Amino acid sequence: NIDPESLLPRLPSPDELKPFPTGCGIIYKGHEGRVRSVAVDPSGTLIASGGDDGTVRVWGLRDGDQRWSVKLGTDEAVNVVRWRPGTDTRVLAAAIGEELYLIVPQLVTAEREGPGADITDRSRDIVDAGWGYAASNSANGPSKKQPAAQWIRPASTRLQDAGVLVKITLRKTIKVISWHRRGEYFATVSPQGQSHAVAVHTLSKHLTQLPFRRLKGLAQSAQFHPSKPIFFVATQRTIRSYDLSKQELLKTIQPGARWISSFDVHPGGDNLIVGSYDKRLLWHDLDLSMRPYKTLRYHKKAIRAVRFHQGGLPLFADASDDGSLQIFHGKVVGDLMENASIVPLKVLRGHQVRKELGVMDVDWHPREPWCVSAGADGTCRLWK
Amino acid sequence: MDFPDGGREPTHQTQVRLQLRSRQADISLPDKTGPILVNTNLRRYALSTLVNTLLQSEKPIPLEFLINGTFLRTSLEEYLTANGISAENTLTVEYVRAIVPPLYLASFEHDAWVSSVDVLSSTSGAGNWMENAGFAPGHERILSGSFDGSLRVWNMSSEVLATSNSRTTPAIRSVKFYSPTQIVSSGDDCAITLWKYLEDQGTLSASLVPKLSLLGHSKSVECVAVHQRSNRILSASADGSVGLWSTKQSEGPSVPAAHLSSLAGNKRRRVSDHDSTPQRGPLSAKKAHSDCVSAAIFAPSDSTVGYSSSWDHTLKTWDLTTSTVVDTRTTSASIFSLNALPSLSLLAAGSSDKYIALIDPRTSATTITAMTLRGHTNSVVSLAPDPDSSYGLVSGSHDGTCRVWDIRSASSEKDGRVGKSIYTISRESVKGEERSRVGGEGIKVFDVKWDSKIGIVSASEDRRVQINQGKGMLNNDTPKAQVLQ
Ligand SMILES: [Mg+2]
Repeated sequence: NIDPESLLPRLPSPDELKPFPTGCGIIYKGHEGRVRSVAVDPSGTLIASGGDDGTVRVWGLRDGDQRWSVKLGTDEAVNVVRWRPGTDTRVLAAAIGEELYLIVPQLVTAEREGPGADITDRSRDIVDAGWGYAASNSANGPSKKQPAAQWIRPASTRLQDAGVLVKITLRKTIKVISWHRRGEYFATVSPQGQSHAVAVHTLSKHLTQLPFRRLKGLAQSAQFHPSKPIFFVATQRTIRSYDLSKQELLKTIQPGARWISSFDVHPGGDNLIVGSYDKRLLWHDLDLSMRPYKTLRYHKKAIRAVRFHQGGLPLFADASDDGSLQIFHGKVVGDLMENASIVPLKVLRGHQVRKELGVMDVDWHPREPWCVSAGADGTCRLWK
Repeated sequence: MDFPDGGREPTHQTQVRLQLRSRQADISLPDKTGPILVNTNLRRYALSTLVNTLLQSEKPIPLEFLINGTFLRTSLEEYLTANGISAENTLTVEYVRAIVPPLYLASFEHDAWVSSVDVLSSTSGAGNWMENAGFAPGHERILSGSFDGSLRVWNMSSEVLATSNSRTTPAIRSVKFYSPTQIVSSGDDCAITLWKYLEDQGTLSASLVPKLSLLGHSKSVECVAVHQRSNRILSASADGSVGLWSTKQSEGPSVPAAHLSSLAGNKRRRVSDHDSTPQRGPLSAKKAHSDCVSAAIFAPSDSTVGYSSSWDHTLKTWDLTTSTVVDTRTTSASIFSLNALPSLSLLAAGSSDKYIALIDPRTSATTITAMTLRGHTNSVVSLAPDPDSSYGLVSGSHDGTCRVWDIRSASSEKDGRVGKSIYTISRESVKGEERSRVGGEGIKVFDVKWDSKIGIVSASEDRRVQINQGKGMLNNDTPKAQVLQ
């Protein structure tokens, strides 16, 4: 008689897989209404958030003090905030309705005018560099067609003084912003935008392009590959990867979910996690199959966001409308013959569910085993 | 022979011989007192009663009992069993006065979160660093810095004597009295400011005027330490560097060009009200950490040695004469606070992972962490030594409490020696609340100081400076050899 249990590979216990976040460290309080999006800045000392009150806020990560805020609108929600990668600048992209803003938050007067001015100056230079290109390009000869989007300086001096430097207007509400790792390109997704649903923006040229004129299905999210010229686009049921240089379809990934809400690419580039409104979290090994390697069903409600740790720790997290976040160990092994080891580590509870909505976004600290979440209860939280 | 249990016959009780000793002359038993036979079911309270009887004290003195450098927290029976000691042996037991709880004394209210505090008294660093420093007894002062950028100087009756400009400016992160008439502050303005502080005799007002701006850091200056005899300031910045500065305008080099705020160009307009304040650069500023530096301190016994702690998990030892790092210790988590326990040659490092590591910084030390203090439920962001005891310290945490530790109150566990706090100081602003607040919401402690005269002074998100009694909390008479065996 063989004990069937003995044939299963032994999963390590969570205790052996430390460090990972285990409890709430800081509550960032100030938003009125839901917080829709949260992002840790590349230096790991600031958090940006955006929400239903139309504001974007920047917080001190360690102490929870609000350092800066701006109101971008009154009728619509800030749906997404994302920092430009790299520690040499501090540039935030934020979307409210169909408008996208590029912001260099003017955190403190002395940083603008005094000893800390360098990073602010560099950031402003990088965002403003494209004005010249855009101007000379429109002056040089007739443009072929109407540009995909206008890049303009916000008219309001209130916004300019706060550091809101560029406004880009698209056709439909923007739900996703994804930066390329070098910070020169970023993609936006407007699910209702049809031929304009996925846009790729070039920072140094203030240029918006629409690479996917015919997309099958409603676009949900998009991401750049962490190291190769590959771009992933998720529709409700399918994630497709494209070779950007050859302009061709590479793979069609079928997670088997009915409605994909979000996905993230592993820093190694060969694995994906996918979250769905039908409560599923799926791990895809792109070398292995177009079908999921693992399907994880732990949540009682929709999963809204999934995110890999980007700084070398084998961790990933999801955020759900059931009010919880779940932390997983997810170790990718270099060996093609060996599969990733995935272990659920911790359920993080604390956000309150409001009108069926729970945790709306999650992001990781760039180095530490800490994550931050955005809640429908009006708070952001640091978990460590 | 007396039996402490009211004369009951010790029928089948195990008994053990205790040799009772005290190092405090006023509570010592006569020298000739030999071993005393007691029941092993006795605990601290019964032993305290016994010794008070032997001392014939008029008013009972609460006593604590130390066996092999550890406070007795169980019955003698349990102690013997836990340590594998036979009741046949004679136990040498040292007794000391029991500590006094850190009673709440007062709170001072700010308009915004209070980030930092310091004190001025005859026993504080700034009050007694030189004989003619000018400290007048009875003129104890509290200095606080706030997230709204303002500084305040208070007297002990909670009256504000001076306040810096109150408009919203970059947050203050660290404040220190340099002398009774000089103050140092630092913060999100990336600068260190030396202020002239002058009280108007006989009135309740004083002036606070910036005297020198020290520029050279490119991100917030999280912490400043002062050494008056050598006119030095040591700084820790979020830019990863540790700076050494002179408080003498004549000694400081000019500000590095990149940090001159008066450079031409419309990007850098000058609106600061420090316009007329002289500016100086650092004697040295070295980026040695890969992340935010949380604290920098001078070695207590040698101001040419410094220590810095960082979010990058490391603790570094500096030779300040050459501005070089001579030693790096790596811990398991981000370090958010640092201070020295002077007479034990130990450093206390407060962690993002809720514990305090006691670290022996001498290069000869074989283990990185001599001891771990556990009990806080959130990041430990401030530490201060007990001014009256070598073994005491207080910590401030994002869990909304300060904890008092006697490092003799510890036990050996599988991951080394672990200490537990002897007192927890809660925020008076939420007195009576039964549930602890998740994430220290609304009550996070950001800074704490411990002064012999004034007590334990803490700064918090609750917008208050809180003062608790700090005298007599620990005894100071166990040789250190016994503490860290
Ligand atoms: Mg593989």
